[in-house]
Amino acid sequence: MAEFDLAIIGAGPAGMAAAVTADKAGLRVALLDEQPRPGGQIYRNVSQASADRVRVLGADYALGRGLTTALAESGVQHIHGAVVWAIEDGFRLSYTANGTAAQVSARRVLIATGALERPLPIPGWTLPGVMTAGAAQILLKGSGIVPRQAVLAGSGPLIYLVAAQMVRAGVPPLALVETQSTRDMIGALRHMPGALRGWRGLAKGLGLIRELRRAGVKRFTGADRLKVEGMDRAEALCFRAGGEDHRIACETVLLHHGVVPNTQVARSIGVSHRWSSAQQTFTPVLDAWGGTDRPGLFIAGDGAGISGAMVAEIAGRLAALKLAEEAGHLGISERDRRAAPLLRARARELAIRPFLDAAYPPYPGALRPDDDTLICRCEEVTAGEIRQTATLGCLGPNQAKSFTRAGMGPCQGRYCGLTVTAILSQTTGQSPDETGYYRIRPPLKPVTLAELAAMAETGATNPEGE
Amino acid sequence: MRRYSAFAIAREAARYHQGWERAWASPEPKKSYDAIIVGAGGHGLATAFYLGKNFGITNVAVIEKGWLGGGNTGRNTTIIRSNYLQDASAAIYEKARGLYETMSQDLNYNVMFSPRGVIMLAQTHHEVRGYQRTAHANALQGVKTEFISPARVKEIVPIINLDGPRYPVLGGLWQARGGTARHDAVAWGYARACSDMGMDIIQKTEVTGVRKENGAVVGVETSRGFIGTKKLGIVVAGHSGVLADMAGFRLPIESVALQALVSEPIKPCMDCVVMANTVHGYMSQSDKGEMVIGGGADGYNNYTQRGSFHHIEETVRALVETFPMISRLKQLRQWGGIVDMTGDRSPILSKTPVEGVFINCGWGTGGFKAIPGSGWGFAELMARGYSPLTAEFGLNRFKEGRFIDESVAAGVAH
Repeated sequence: MAEFDLAIIGAGPAGMAAAVTADKAGLRVALLDEQPRPGGQIYRNVSQASADRVRVLGADYALGRGLTTALAESGVQHIHGAVVWAIEDGFRLSYTANGTAAQVSARRVLIATGALERPLPIPGWTLPGVMTAGAAQILLKGSGIVPRQAVLAGSGPLIYLVAAQMVRAGVPPLALVETQSTRDMIGALRHMPGALRGWRGLAKGLGLIRELRRAGVKRFTGADRLKVEGMDRAEALCFRAGGEDHRIACETVLLHHGVVPNTQVARSIGVSHRWSSAQQTFTPVLDAWGGTDRPGLFIAGDGAGISGAMVAEIAGRLAALKLAEEAGHLGISERDRRAAPLLRARARELAIRPFLDAAYPPYPGALRPDDDTLICRCEEVTAGEIRQTATLGCLGPNQAKSFTRAGMGPCQGRYCGLTVTAILSQTTGQSPDETGYYRIRPPLKPVTLAELAAMAETGATNPEGE
Repeated sequence: MRRYSAFAIAREAARYHQGWERAWASPEPKKSYDAIIVGAGGHGLATAFYLGKNFGITNVAVIEKGWLGGGNTGRNTTIIRSNYLQDASAAIYEKARGLYETMSQDLNYNVMFSPRGVIMLAQTHHEVRGYQRTAHANALQGVKTEFISPARVKEIVPIINLDGPRYPVLGGLWQARGGTARHDAVAWGYARACSDMGMDIIQKTEVTGVRKENGAVVGVETSRGFIGTKKLGIVVAGHSGVLADMAGFRLPIESVALQALVSEPIKPCMDCVVMANTVHGYMSQSDKGEMVIGGGADGYNNYTQRGSFHHIEETVRALVETFPMISRLKQLRQWGGIVDMTGDRSPILSKTPVEGVFINCGWGTGGFKAIPGSGWGFAELMARGYSPLTAEFGLNRFKEGRFIDESVAAGVAH
């Protein structure tokens, strides 16, 4: 089995920055990532993107090149196309790459698995033609594909960005249906002083909104009662806004209401998590460096709580400094000297967060879905069935699994976990922390039995030798 | 409690299933009970049920630190069989298997008992001899099993590969009335019946101490305060050692993780349970269509409820040889349960050095199949101080050397 000082899961901004920093400090680093090329979701494919693609995606996207170049020039062993499906104490990571399962062991691990889009369960959200705004962006970044006749619905800054990117690509969306209300915006104003410290972010957002207005993209705000209509596929998005019912005929509905930390890896090895009411999600309990309650295990990036790519990069570097110090490659004073400007930069970047969280809250209708709305897509469980388990005496999500099978399909609860916790806690009156979350089990992503069976024989080195 | 019936289903179907009532209550603990069972898994709930049903003791509390059926009852591979070697074991396991046959009716709760048959594969010459001996022993005990040829194995399990280079199939021990049941439903059915008799099932309450006076139990300290009792049944599987320590005695038990995994669902392809004890693997197909695969126990003691991957790897490597068609199936989930192993691989149902404290543990890797028999015998032991079913399974057998050696029949695989 290949052995390293540090294994990093995820080659997004946090993972890449940490890998390069730790490598420079003298650690033997393995960087495992699902994608063929580094960048994560935010900088997906950036090292290969054409000038035209960069024009469409914007200048922020091109920033990722600094990281991918630094990674390519470093001594980091980048194991690409590697789906990590188990983490065990010690630490040992099991993964599949090129159809073959293998393992690496490392004294320390940094989890940089980023975020997932918050599921948006509304009537009709499982119809073909409905996907998330992030999925549309993956198509755009990965293959230059833009969905036609699309409506963007939900809330959050990403919607503006995706819409603007679609405009630049020459296929503007039909409309933006935003669920945040004027009242949310007014409530967010108390966070304005912080937001003004992060004025660059605000200016970018206003620029995007201007760009959309110039392109003539219709915007609705304060939308409610969202519903996708269609028989075999999505045909229209219906909603209520400004006291009127609307129906926009379309081929594609792109849903989004923020992103949430992807906590599967951390949870599977028992890291403590707490409910964050500001972000309406669970986040891992971490120290200032990103260290968890398990020695040698760190988390950086959006997986630690949503704060964006710039903070992720900084957090990656901070965690790497602390890891290098723990491994004896860096003195404490040198660590702190190098961390000081990073901590200042992080505080600056984080200043706008409370404003964004308050101004773009998740769509309330999706946090309390109708009884008939499917919430577990894998096992086809409705919100009503989950409510019924609670009234029958079900105490939490893990018991709900044996009542309904919710969370037991191929996604292993990644997409329904938060919704199930929310519904149970609303029904029983317990807090989300008391209600808890699914126990996450390996494999984190499905692995074939043949891969498992062949694991011992092929040993642990990556067959590509990369 | 309203009975479940075809009419009830029809009635509820007509009103969106809104009228089902809670199956069990969640009461506040009383000050004291005639008997307290620690652990609301299958064995604990079955004990409470038979205390009420057979002995009329209904002022009973079942205290559970998590939720009922959330431990090994909800983690096993649901196999039911009684083809053991020794008379004492055959008696209690066969009692249990018989009770499973009528459990759905007895509890008015569908536990989905499916007597689909269990084959234990003989894959070495040693196993052939061993299983032939078990078949003879079973004949004398009145347990219906037979040793069958490879051709017959293939007939029952068409997807099997008899000619594996490392693990050929040389025959099998076939118990046609063995099978599976829905594990959660067993716990739920007992819980509903217990609640209906007025017993208190107290969930999310952890026992933190055992209070004694003059060598006899007077109650338990819990996370919700002290609860008094003169009779305490400890039925907590892997955590038995912890509870015994609270009560002040020691157990000859090791706790290890036993693990299992489940694949994505596929169409029906195997309508019985196949166990391959040489390779520590066993497999059946759930009603949903998943292949449920059980593995071996970890070689070291722990309480992690996870298990390690090298065991799963070993199990799967061998099973892929015996069932080549499963190789491309995706594994969706792996988990572990903490099992309590004794030296002779037989359970302990016993009085203890502390008066009024009884212990039911040591079921190791195979407790699910025994639930009703274990509850039946243990309730009798708690109520009367003696049960013919449990007489051989006392703690003192480890002092006296009267082991009930089932390491061949129980081994690892269940």
